[in-house]
Amino acid sequence: MNRRNLLIGAGLAALAVSGGAALAQQPVVKIGYQLPLTGNTAQYGQDFKNAAEIALAKFNASGRPFKVEIVFEDSRSDAKEGIAIARKFVDDKEIVGVLGDFTSGVSMASAQVYKSAGMPQLSQTASHPDYAKISEWQFRNITTQAQEGPYNADWMVDQGFKKIAVIAEQTDWGQTVVSNFADEVKKKGGEVVFSEFFNRGLADFRPIITKIAREKPDAIYTGFFYEDGAQFLKQMKQLGLTIPVYSTSAAYNQKLIELAGADAEGMHLTATFLPSNPAPQVQEFVAAWKEKTGQAEPGQFPAQAYDAVNIMLAALEKAWPEPTREKVRDALAATKDFPGVTGDTTFDAHREPAKKLTKAVVKGGQFVAVAD
Amino acid sequence: MAGTSPAMTLESVDLEDDWHEFSGFFGPNLPVAMDYYLQQLAIGLSLGMVYALMAIGFTLIFGVLNVVNFAHGEVYTIGAFTGLVVISAFAPPLIVVLLLVVAVGALAGVGLERIAFKPFRRFSDEASLKSRAMREATLMSSLAVSIVVREAVEIGFGSQFQTVPLDRLLNSPISLGPITIVSGDVIIFVVAALMLGGLQYVLKRTNVGLSIRAVSSNPLGAKYVGINTDRTIIWTFAVGSMMGAAAGILVGLYYGAIFPSMGFIPGIKAFVAMVMGGLSSIPGAVICALILGFSESIATIFVPSVWADMVAYGFLIVTLIFFPRGIFGGARDRV
Repeated sequence: MNRRNLLIGAGLAALAVSGGAALAQQPVVKIGYQLPLTGNTAQYGQDFKNAAEIALAKFNASGRPFKVEIVFEDSRSDAKEGIAIARKFVDDKEIVGVLGDFTSGVSMASAQVYKSAGMPQLSQTASHPDYAKISEWQFRNITTQAQEGPYNADWMVDQGFKKIAVIAEQTDWGQTVVSNFADEVKKKGGEVVFSEFFNRGLADFRPIITKIAREKPDAIYTGFFYEDGAQFLKQMKQLGLTIPVYSTSAAYNQKLIELAGADAEGMHLTATFLPSNPAPQVQEFVAAWKEKTGQAEPGQFPAQAYDAVNIMLAALEKAWPEPTREKVRDALAATKDFPGVTGDTTFDAHREPAKKLTKAVVKGGQFVAVAD
Repeated sequence: MAGTSPAMTLESVDLEDDWHEFSGFFGPNLPVAMDYYLQQLAIGLSLGMVYALMAIGFTLIFGVLNVVNFAHGEVYTIGAFTGLVVISAFAPPLIVVLLLVVAVGALAGVGLERIAFKPFRRFSDEASLKSRAMREATLMSSLAVSIVVREAVEIGFGSQFQTVPLDRLLNSPISLGPITIVSGDVIIFVVAALMLGGLQYVLKRTNVGLSIRAVSSNPLGAKYVGINTDRTIIWTFAVGSMMGAAAGILVGLYYGAIFPSMGFIPGIKAFVAMVMGGLSSIPGAVICALILGFSESIATIFVPSVWADMVAYGFLIVTLIFFPRGIFGGARDRV
């Protein structure tokens, strides 16, 4: 205890010397962030934490009338842990808003706690259609398949593909990939000639690929994340198939190209974030990311987390002074044309973000934006 | 005339139709349809060989030595990560990678035996040696080791797929007429055949093999006739784990998928193949692994691929109900 006081004292003295005594007395607003920092999905949670810290450091250094502190809690992508964290955040009267969780399942389990306690929750990645419907307290910063599916269907049909094969992972999310896409293809006069699901983490896609080849589709539409995506693309090339492949923003990750190499060339997908975008806020984030993590360019998920944190911080600022959970919720709901790295974000009446999607293709080992 | 002519015409039309149908079914579509099934069979064969590669070492320890070992999947993972580290550090030829991996696998096997199995052989009185409980306690200890190893690898490397240098992947396509296989299929076939043949030779023709078989059928009796049971068990672990580690790196490079929980699914498939093959027969396990691979790929022809995983469990249940001694479990001798 003594030692701690001594440290705090030393810290204050240092601040006073540097003329920052006023800063130390600044009021602090706390928000919570639940995310997986260990376990099978830890790589995603660590990315979110890095992105959040970049956003937070920038905010706190910008001379606002208050400082923000983020309390990170590790949910291990486990619904039980998520609920326990949610209760902890709710009980902490200083916390006025929550970010996270990573998966739809954990986000939705925690959402029940936030719903009954009245705590605004903003997830950077929960894309299950029912998540935002839970209550007026749930927000998300990710486009759902209700937006991406029809967009991709229009794109592919406009390219002249009439017979399309669809495969997706066997999850709630995968189901929405297929249904939203197939409905629009039929409306546009195209035909879904093959549709099948696979278990996430499938090692060998070749039996399915052989089946797809038999249907002779013009193109393949896929709902997978980057690891399954890399396996699928590699094995497709092994079997000598050259049918064009289209995918969702979930496959957008530099690691996909790292794992599949040249076999990823020519894959089309939609994204809301491209690190090569020359917009100043994107370049600022990419540079800060490289400096902080020592990694290559950030993927789509950290970018969504970065924007989610910034949207939350902007809401806190609107709710200032004396921010309450209600005021933060109302400020979030009023978010309009927020200029983020994943495009301008506006929450609609159902707290769903409308974002501008960018068409991209893998070319020369990079995701490159294309007009069509 | 008027009466017979239509009949004749009808008949000839019928024939004509039959012919069209016939040629339509087997004629112009013949290459396409046959190619499809041949390709699925080729994939089934390569799946089966991947399972067989894992099943050989697994059956040697679990089935032949009659020791319940649930950490074989982690030896497989260790093999793959060792290979990856070696490749990233020195980029030696595949054969050198394999030798280093096999060496690390042997160490892992001996270490595993020391931590999870040896403590249960501390008591050498007759009651303990005959106790099933003492024997089967290793189910928990080996499971514990497997969890610790998997989590440690995850902390060290992260849980995502590791980036494997693409030029080291064993997946260059080879066209054989209408079907396509990859270079890894050939390598895995050769290695699996060498393992199987080598083990059969050791088990049946050498003194070491004799002592392994003796320990497995009656540890107490083996002790009484002067066999060093401890050393025999350690040797079996070393050899079985060498094979597990080699399987790990080969399959890792075959699919380009190296990650901490990679040993789980192959472990289950090898377990099913072993049970189907009658627990103690290595050739039986290999044949059943091939049957498993074929069945999974053929099942994909008829049902969605999400159901293909059911094949292995279906076989397991059917075997346990109708062939409790396994399909090849008739013989008493453990090999």
